[in-house]
Amino acid sequence: MIRAAAGVALVALLLAMPRLAPPYPITLLLPAFAYGIALLGLNLLFGTTGLLSFGHALFVALGAYTAAWLTTRCHVMAFEAIVAVAALAAAVVAVPVGLLCVRYVKIYFSMLTLAFGMLFYSFLYKFYALTGGDEGIRVLRPSLLGRGFADLDKVGFLTGPFYYYALAMLALAALVMRRIARSPLGLSLRAIRENADKAAFVGVSVRRYRFYAFVIAAVFGAVGGTLLAVPTGLADPLLAYWTHSGNLVFMLLLGGFDHFLGPLVGAAAFIFLQDFVMSLTVYWRFVFGALLAVIVIFFPRGLLGLLPPERAA
Amino acid sequence: MLFLVAAGLQLVFGVQKILNLACGSFYALGAYVGVSAAAWALGHGLPAPLFVVALLAGGLALAVIGPPIERLLGTVYDRDESFQLLLTFALVLMLEDVIRFVWGTAPVQLGDAYLVYGRITVAGSTIPVYNLVVIAASGLIAVGMGLLLTRTRFGRIVRATAENREMSEALGVDRRRVYARVFTLGVALGTVGGALVIPATAAVSEMAIDVIVEAFAVVVIGGLGSMRGAFVGALIVGVLKAGAIATWPEVEMLAIYVVVIGVLVLRPAGLFAGAAP
Amino acid sequence: MRTTRRQFLALSGGALTTAALRLDVAPAFAQNTPVKLGVLAAKAGVLAPVGESGLRGVQWATERINAAGGILGRKIELIVEEESSPKDTVERFRKLSLQDKVDAISGVISTGTGLALGPVAEEMKTIWLSWDATTQKGVEETMPKPKYSFRSTDNEAEAVMASILTARHFKGTFRTVAGINPDYSYGRDNWAAFLAIMKKYGIETQVVSELWPKLGATDFTAHVAALQQAKPDLIFSCFWAGDTPIFLKQAHAAGLTAKAKLVLTTGGGVHESLKKAFTPEGAILGYNCLYFDWAKASPLQKEFVRWHHEKFKEWPNYESDHGYFTIVAYKAAVERAAKAAAGKWPTQDAVIAALEGVEAESLSGPRRFREDHIMEATFFQGSTTHKNAYDFVTIDPVETMTTKQIQKPSGVGLYDWINSWKV
Repeated sequence: MIRAAAGVALVALLLAMPRLAPPYPITLLLPAFAYGIALLGLNLLFGTTGLLSFGHALFVALGAYTAAWLTTRCHVMAFEAIVAVAALAAAVVAVPVGLLCVRYVKIYFSMLTLAFGMLFYSFLYKFYALTGGDEGIRVLRPSLLGRGFADLDKVGFLTGPFYYYALAMLALAALVMRRIARSPLGLSLRAIRENADKAAFVGVSVRRYRFYAFVIAAVFGAVGGTLLAVPTGLADPLLAYWTHSGNLVFMLLLGGFDHFLGPLVGAAAFIFLQDFVMSLTVYWRFVFGALLAVIVIFFPRGLLGLLPPERAA
Repeated sequence: MLFLVAAGLQLVFGVQKILNLACGSFYALGAYVGVSAAAWALGHGLPAPLFVVALLAGGLALAVIGPPIERLLGTVYDRDESFQLLLTFALVLMLEDVIRFVWGTAPVQLGDAYLVYGRITVAGSTIPVYNLVVIAASGLIAVGMGLLLTRTRFGRIVRATAENREMSEALGVDRRRVYARVFTLGVALGTVGGALVIPATAAVSEMAIDVIVEAFAVVVIGGLGSMRGAFVGALIVGVLKAGAIATWPEVEMLAIYVVVIGVLVLRPAGLFAGAAP
Repeated sequence: MRTTRRQFLALSGGALTTAALRLDVAPAFAQNTPVKLGVLAAKAGVLAPVGESGLRGVQWATERINAAGGILGRKIELIVEEESSPKDTVERFRKLSLQDKVDAISGVISTGTGLALGPVAEEMKTIWLSWDATTQKGVEETMPKPKYSFRSTDNEAEAVMASILTARHFKGTFRTVAGINPDYSYGRDNWAAFLAIMKKYGIETQVVSELWPKLGATDFTAHVAALQQAKPDLIFSCFWAGDTPIFLKQAHAAGLTAKAKLVLTTGGGVHESLKKAFTPEGAILGYNCLYFDWAKASPLQKEFVRWHHEKFKEWPNYESDHGYFTIVAYKAAVERAAKAAAGKWPTQDAVIAALEGVEAESLSGPRRFREDHIMEATFFQGSTTHKNAYDFVTIDPVETMTTKQIQKPSGVGLYDWINSWKV
């Protein structure tokens, strides 16, 4: 009951943000929403299924490059189409990759996903004609629900229509993920995390469910990637580099992986913290590393772990 | 070179089941400290041909960071491996800035130490003798590690712990002490590797993040936790890279990952499976 | 002397203008709030040494301008942020523009990041004075008529100069060539320009090896081996970062540099690390737009070089000059626009108009921004020598060319331009 009220209050606050806050923090919320969606997927893998991916950035980059390709090379501006194609592309890539990866667990899974992420990175970096090499490809301003908003400048577009659009996508993604987490699939995944042998014994096909989780996570990652690419205006290979995957995991841990809202809180906290610390010191990586160490050692359940435990999320 | 980093990774993984993302950072630290140590020693009258001693000393001395870092990791031994992985990622971030803080951002190098031992010509191509020194040193270290693990009491304990933590503990092995030593040994392999490579190259801050990916490739190809695998894996990666550059430079990086994935798919435990997954 | 009506009107008009000028000027000078300039400088990774160098030039310019009273009496305040990945740099640019509300932004080296920032500067309506980043994709300009972005010289200008020097000095002494260039647009554009110019000069060349190591690589053993196999007469490389000394060291150790001629278009970016121990004499080496040891240097350059060496124990490179120029060019433009606006602090549009075609003395002599917002400068290259007081190579004789000679003019394709040369 209290949580529901808090949720409503949070949504109301986010809806009112463009009127309350100056434009810069609003533009920072956009990548937070985008990462939020990508992390919802990552959380299904790590938080729910217990598989730690160090290659999730592959799918984020895939989404960003889909947006780049469609807007600059194919002149498809409808963002709905971009999201759909990105989701499809992610699924197509995730099926073979997932089939290979889910055969392993724990460290082996992490390493294999890392290898696939770096494979994609090298591909983006080396295949110049197709991907623009290190420079990447520009992402043009898309149209939303058929409207181009030509009267708005980019900041107006980002902090206005695109903000609400991204917020709506995030809400939708969160609802979908909630359904998935509470579906028989979600329950089975949880059972697998707790005890894979027992789950298999009671008739859960461990590998198949892990595979489903992998593909769903990939789709969420790519959708987040499309949203991430629009404010930047560019898709570049660094999006697929292994340290970007590491940052994604960092965000998730910061928010709290066993909490449903963890991904959203983590993404927002990471981005605002980075903004703050980067302006403060050139040694912000050290601060972040130390912060990560403290979280891992003392607060493994993240910021939301500080709250009273949630019942069966 | 890659072999030493990979060997450190293998050792730590084999025994402690920790995948150390920070091994690249130890390598970079070793390189920087190696330069500083050698430059200092040469400045204090060390005869030039002996600079390798200073390098090695610098690399070994750096291993003192092993135990405190191991203690840090020790706080999460009882949790999922993923947390250990993340903690090493935190180390990568921190050590990168430590290097920046101490040595700045410009490339750091040892002027003309590379050719102190001269060059020789073999089959038409010229090779600096120092390269042979490094190869010999790696070989010696490999043999030494092999002897250490198979012939000494310490080696037996280490292998027993790798095989079965609980059992060895029940037999009175102080697990924490074994871990601390093994981890420090792993760190030392990385730092010595970094220190040895430096005359032929220059220390740059991004070497940590780049080398880790190749070290991973070596480890996966060779098989996790296997020393012999690390050696063969390093050879394969080296040959693969050279071959790709000579024939089709576009695929230099891709080729390595394709082989990595191929190995993982076909022989998940690596070509020389040591500890079974 | 009779005062005509017209003369009287002119006189009173003049007096009125003077009065108006006083009235307007006073508040502008009394206001005295600082001019805020954002700086985007790389602090980590392969770009970091060059990023720091650019920042030093910016800081030196700022100190001097502030000590002399600032721009129209307003002091400059720098807000420094980090250039990193394109995504993060775009966010820092937005922060400087939206939150710090800076008057202009100086900085950025990476072409990839430059490509991302070009459109952002236009969207944010913030003046952006690039140090080294261009908005070219390949050799094509992606922003033919930018309003807010002012960018550096073309990527391939140094290759054009080095190629002309190659033709001038090495013609007839080589046939087989090999290229080893960093694997990104800069490397590819420079190599392509080199080959095109060789052809234009009627030099028969045969490419025996094309290598593309990753920017910032630290191991070239395999590349050196491939080059040894290929046995080129001449090796062309546009390395400019920490990879330059490593490649040279390993090439020297393998005896490669004793046999092949070397053309290093941009190695001056890390000139102090090119130790005599492994860098041969007689190679063509480019210092881009600032050569620290130039005998004919201006007093300004000499003063900066001295200051830089005293403060950092290093000799400066070209990026300092790029950074320095962006600040003095901004000051010159504001003053030029203020003159037109009767001494008032000019509007942003007026500053932009004044930046077009603005000239200012940089550390390496006069520089300007072309009307299409592209920098014009002087480039320094020459033949390496060991005859100096340092432990690294310098060049002698020093040859200079201006961008009028080595940069394609506005609106013309690179290869069309090269083909139009009379050689």
